[in-house]
Amino acid sequence: MNATSPPGAPNASRPSAIGPSAISGATATGRLYLANLRQRSLQTARKRLMWVVVGFVFFTLTAFVRIGQLGFVSQTPDHGAAADALVPPRAEITDRNGVPLARAFPAYSLWFNPKALGPKGQPLVKTPEEVARALVQIFPDEDYADLFAKLKAGKPTYLRRRVLPEEANKIFALGEPALEFPRETQRFYPQGSLAAHVLGYVDEEGHGKLGMEEVLDARLIDPAHRAEPVALSIDARAQGAMEDELSRGMLETHAKGAAGIILDVDTGEVIALASLPSFDPNRGDLARNALVFNRASNQVYELGSTFKPFTIASAIDAGVVTDMAVRYPATPLKIDGFTIHDSHAFGASLNVPEALIHSSNIVTAQVADKLGGQRLRDTMIALGMNARPTIELPAKGFPIWPKGEWPRLRTMTVSYGHGIAVTPLHLAAGYAALVNGGIWRPTTLFKVDPAHAPEGRRVFQASTSARIRQLLRLIVVDGTGKKADASGFRVGGKTGSAEKAGSHGSGYRNKTAIIATFAAAFPMDRPRYVVIAMLDEPQATQLTSGQRTAAWNTAPVVSRVIARTGPLLGVVPDGRRDVDVSDLTPLVANGDGE
Amino acid sequence: MMVTARRLRSIGWMATLVVCVALVMVLAFRVNALRSQVHQSDAKIVALKQETMYLETEFETRANQQQLKNWNDVEFGYVAPVATQYLDNERELASYAKPVEAGAPAPIRVASADDAVVAAAAFPAMVSPLTGRPVSEASDAVDHVAVTAPVAHDDSDAPRPAHKVAAASGLAGLGDRLATVHHAARDSAKTPAHKVAAKGLAAKDKGSKARDAKALAAKKAAGQKVKSARAPVEKSPSRAFAGRAVRPKDRFASADRTSAVGHRHAGNGTPLIKLALKDAKTVK
Repeated sequence: MNATSPPGAPNASRPSAIGPSAISGATATGRLYLANLRQRSLQTARKRLMWVVVGFVFFTLTAFVRIGQLGFVSQTPDHGAAADALVPPRAEITDRNGVPLARAFPAYSLWFNPKALGPKGQPLVKTPEEVARALVQIFPDEDYADLFAKLKAGKPTYLRRRVLPEEANKIFALGEPALEFPRETQRFYPQGSLAAHVLGYVDEEGHGKLGMEEVLDARLIDPAHRAEPVALSIDARAQGAMEDELSRGMLETHAKGAAGIILDVDTGEVIALASLPSFDPNRGDLARNALVFNRASNQVYELGSTFKPFTIASAIDAGVVTDMAVRYPATPLKIDGFTIHDSHAFGASLNVPEALIHSSNIVTAQVADKLGGQRLRDTMIALGMNARPTIELPAKGFPIWPKGEWPRLRTMTVSYGHGIAVTPLHLAAGYAALVNGGIWRPTTLFKVDPAHAPEGRRVFQASTSARIRQLLRLIVVDGTGKKADASGFRVGGKTGSAEKAGSHGSGYRNKTAIIATFAAAFPMDRPRYVVIAMLDEPQATQLTSGQRTAAWNTAPVVSRVIARTGPLLGVVPDGRRDVDVSDLTPLVANGDGE
Repeated sequence: MMVTARRLRSIGWMATLVVCVALVMVLAFRVNALRSQVHQSDAKIVALKQETMYLETEFETRANQQQLKNWNDVEFGYVAPVATQYLDNERELASYAKPVEAGAPAPIRVASADDAVVAAAAFPAMVSPLTGRPVSEASDAVDHVAVTAPVAHDDSDAPRPAHKVAAASGLAGLGDRLATVHHAARDSAKTPAHKVAAKGLAAKDKGSKARDAKALAAKKAAGQKVKSARAPVEKSPSRAFAGRAVRPKDRFASADRTSAVGHRHAGNGTPLIKLALKDAKTVK
């Protein structure tokens, strides 16, 4: 009977439950037995009770632990995997305004899978000839023989690395199951060849080559950072305008090449850097040719008359030129058996403003002679002309820098930009120092916070810089740079048309091969940007009025670039403002020259 | 009975336990279901973001700088704006407004609905909730102009309620009234504007012709503009008027012209404010 009593019943009820049987057997053994039985029953009951309690506690704990786990430990479903899918395998490169210049993009590629129709089936439905012909119709740049050979060989291979969606549709319409388009993450440059030399490209192994892709390779594929795009200092719109105008200038003059730079004078940021002819970084496989050569930062040129303002600034700074009205003889100058000429005669004498306006080699050489080789050399060194340009790009040309003490003749030729060869980027940085108050700053392709611009180093006094701003403006208003005058933008600048040195040091024999450069800054009342345009061997054409000098080919390019990019870069044209040149105007006799 | 109670109690405990277990399981299932839903949504978000990126890239590619340049060369022919196309401020904008001179030809008015028809249409009168009398737009206009006119208000002269002033008004007399405001501006020292306006209302019976509703709207708008345009004009004369001294009584007219520019550019090309000025002359 006791066995039937509920196991989990409370102890208090036990005596009453076993009471009747205890009274019926009133012997000591019976009592003992009963007491024993009671004891055991109690134990069993306690045990069972314990189990129940344990069960309750267990489930309660389980529930609490689960709730706690849901609430605190396990975050909302694991975003990791999903978010990872959005992190590109290689970080994006954008321009200064966030316009993507290079991004990882799941593009289609064209893959030939001969086993698509079963291991023993024919690889293609149609004949390889027909398929190859159809593919060439879709991709006119593909080689028929090459495609045919690949299709006939029957081995799995890429037929084309990048296919546009509409091209994929056309291929799909061919009805060949063996032609597959796997989507693969590739490097894609939405702007095509824009800023190709700045960006570079990515090779088949996924490593950057040439431009910032190479410089930033480790940063771009670093898992910790690749979710964040890298912003360059380039402005895609300004870059587009620069490339467009340069290519127009090239076409108009049948030039071999061109280079252009827009530089922020206060921060050293490169807003545009163009080298033409360019290449398409989307076809990295084709980018191994001469087109990848960067003329803006890698090729050194004798940049000619654009150096004259450096000489004059150095002379003003050193106190050699104190009076702008002092006149210098302008007749050909014989020195060490070498005669320094001007492009044409400008009369018996010229003062410094006139010398710059007419671009007189003779007067500049005399100023440099008075200045002395050492001081001119020091200025050039301070402007970084004796070292590779400071830029992140791997393509940095080393200048042709006259070593040792400069003899008199060397000082004179350097003063008008011969006997020293630098890159257009050197020139841009130098002009920035000329006009920004005299501070040279390293050029950079990374965005710079204007409040934290590099300190730079002082090359010219602020007063010298102010004087040079007047003189550069005067050159555009009255001198050789008239065609660069974008209305309302207060452009100042200097032309430079330097004959190219012949090969093997054969001197300047080829008078038709010149480097035409225009170095400008705007707006001159408060310079913000330096613009350099350079054409390599421009020809005299009808469009340049039969001239091949910078005044006729690169100056208009600069004018159009400034007119197009000025408003985008925050310079509003204003016809009522200008730098005050009234103290120099009376010193200048009217006349043109180069 | 006792046994049953105990059993019931223990069954109750068991049931509670089972219910708890069931609840925990339900919770777990629910959480898992929700979790997989979130996973699905997550995957969908990723897919959509990728699709967005894909489309964005395609858009960027199709609209890249070179492509835009090609389109511009062939289709649009846009060129960079020149210095003269930029305006520094409202003052410069105002300088483009040409003052109306004596003997100037009547301004060209573009074709629109017949004014006479509009005037005769007899818009339903707005009734003042206080007086029950009709309140026309004219009363608003008068009110407004009275406020904005550069008149040295005679404080002792209590302003009359607008609706009284407008009580006898109709569309026909608007031109007169509005024109008189100019008169008020010129003789501001003598007569408070609202009095003048009232005088103008009274004059409507003197054979004035029907004026168009457009003139009303224009004048009203011009009146509103006057308020904003007046301040800069009074501080210093605009560049356009810099050559000659701006007489006090001319100021208001200048301000009127200033505000007219916006209307001319924004509207259908009708030089509305000139119309009003002309009216002023005819009344004078």
